[in-house]
Amino acid sequence: MLEIKNLHVAVDGKGILRGLSLRVDSGEVHAIMGPNGSGKSTLSYVLAGRAGYEITEGSIRYRGKDLAALAPEERAAEGIFLAMQYPVEIPGVTTMMFLKSAINAQRRARGETELDAVAILKAVRKKAATLNVSEEMLKRALNVGFSGGEKKRLEILQMALFEPRLAILDETDSGLDIDALRLVAEGVNSMRAPGRAMLLITHYQRLLDYIVPDRVHVLAKGRIVAEGGKELALELEAKGYEQIIRDAA
Amino acid sequence: MTLALPTRRIEEWKYSDLARVLGDAGFGEDSARALVGPLPHGVEAFSLDEANRPDWVNAHYGKLSTNAVSAVSLAKAQGGIALRVHKNTHVEAPLALDFLGQGHVRALLVLQEGASLTLLERCGGGETRNAGFEIVLGRNARLDHVRVAPNSSAVQVEEISMTLANDAQYRAHFANFGARLSRLELTIALKGEGASVDLSGVSVLSDQSHADITTHVTHEVGQTQSLQLFKNVVGGGAQAVYQGKVTVKPNADGSDSRQTAKALLLGPRAEADLKPELEILADDVKCAHGAAVGDLDADSLFYLKARGIPEKEARHLLLHAFLEDAMACITGPDLRESVRGAVSRALDEVTV
Repeated sequence: MLEIKNLHVAVDGKGILRGLSLRVDSGEVHAIMGPNGSGKSTLSYVLAGRAGYEITEGSIRYRGKDLAALAPEERAAEGIFLAMQYPVEIPGVTTMMFLKSAINAQRRARGETELDAVAILKAVRKKAATLNVSEEMLKRALNVGFSGGEKKRLEILQMALFEPRLAILDETDSGLDIDALRLVAEGVNSMRAPGRAMLLITHYQRLLDYIVPDRVHVLAKGRIVAEGGKELALELEAKGYEQIIRDAA
Repeated sequence: MTLALPTRRIEEWKYSDLARVLGDAGFGEDSARALVGPLPHGVEAFSLDEANRPDWVNAHYGKLSTNAVSAVSLAKAQGGIALRVHKNTHVEAPLALDFLGQGHVRALLVLQEGASLTLLERCGGGETRNAGFEIVLGRNARLDHVRVAPNSSAVQVEEISMTLANDAQYRAHFANFGARLSRLELTIALKGEGASVDLSGVSVLSDQSHADITTHVTHEVGQTQSLQLFKNVVGGGAQAVYQGKVTVKPNADGSDSRQTAKALLLGPRAEADLKPELEILADDVKCAHGAAVGDLDADSLFYLKARGIPEKEARHLLLHAFLEDAMACITGPDLRESVRGAVSRALDEVTV
């Protein structure tokens, strides 16, 4: 599904990722853990195609294609979804109108027929209920005045609606209380499927109590420095990043 | 009285070079027309080209207009229309007022005590025109006004001058899609306690078009309110102008005034001149003004694109969102939707 080789990425001329390699296969859930400043968010942005993140060396292949050649909206239509750490607030665009625009833009790009407002409302309502996203939230301006938990739930609702092949969840657990975390984790777990891969990017092990990964990678100074099964996350929690990074060196 | 057109040397016309675009011919000698839709019950009309003006026309005609361009239209206009809504008459359906043809034209609208009306003003035809419009709102009268100026290559100037008696309300929205030179000047006197105005507007401009909205609101007495919100999207080599002057007279305590003007510039040649101005001569007032010029937010743009929305559509969505709060207060869902539709079409022109 995703194969990253020797990836170097610079932001404003400064090298952030320095030789990162990673392979995620269909049906797998991988966790990327790392301390602040290790390059976690840079990895998520470069996968989603944000401007200003320059690939200076190495490659990213997604389903056999060179990902760098695709614009962000093309990546979305190809099935890549990034649940953002800080979802933006957009006054003047209702959440429902945004969802309709996004769903139909993706369908159009894939050559599928667009859905009418009624069909979209029906699909949204069905999935919103399980994530405790209220009708009132859907009528409000996108993310405006939403609590941290509401914003993250809306990100997961989008994931459920778009049904991506590759979902990247950037610090989805940050700012969530335990109930909200459980709700979000249930939403994510319900989407685990043989045809779908997930990349959980997180600082803390806590999320991995709820969403159990197949593989754990430790990111430090722009590279993967340690890899293992789900037990690596527990080891990190016990020993701390410094110790693991030292052991790996 | 001299009838020379203002030049840019006059501060208020600094951003709209009327003398240059009109040349020696000025507005010419022709008279344009003002047409109204079928008159609802309780609304009376008088054609200004007829003789024997009734007392209610004579009482108000030509009394409020203040600027140099209005003086020209008063001197030269042969026609136009006067409208009166009778006391306590509530007119439900919007009344259409169209300015058509080339030249000078006048209009007068009087709402008697307790009357209410929704007026849809359309500036059609794309001809060069100078309109002078006087509005008198009696006690407790309420006027909702939506003015739509479609894109044209003409020179269109309009002065609206009005007075509001106690508890009268004026709520207006001005949508402007640019002309070679487009100037709307409002001179509003809040003369009675409890009087309020709520002005909003959007301009969506592309190519070389121009739109200027200039307002003078005077709080002559206390306990009066004025709100202004103007938003502009400027592409190509277009120019948006907002000049808003609010004057609070001595002893007009308890006045409340807010004015905001914002513009998004879509390219290096686009220009916005936003000049909110306050003159406070009273002590106990609440006044705020602000202006801001900027570009689209990069985080928002990336968010929408990462959700599959292509660049052009994402920009369109964000520009529409930027303008939305200035359109939200348009009276009546039909008028609101029609302005939103016109804005959407204009945004297609400026987003590439």
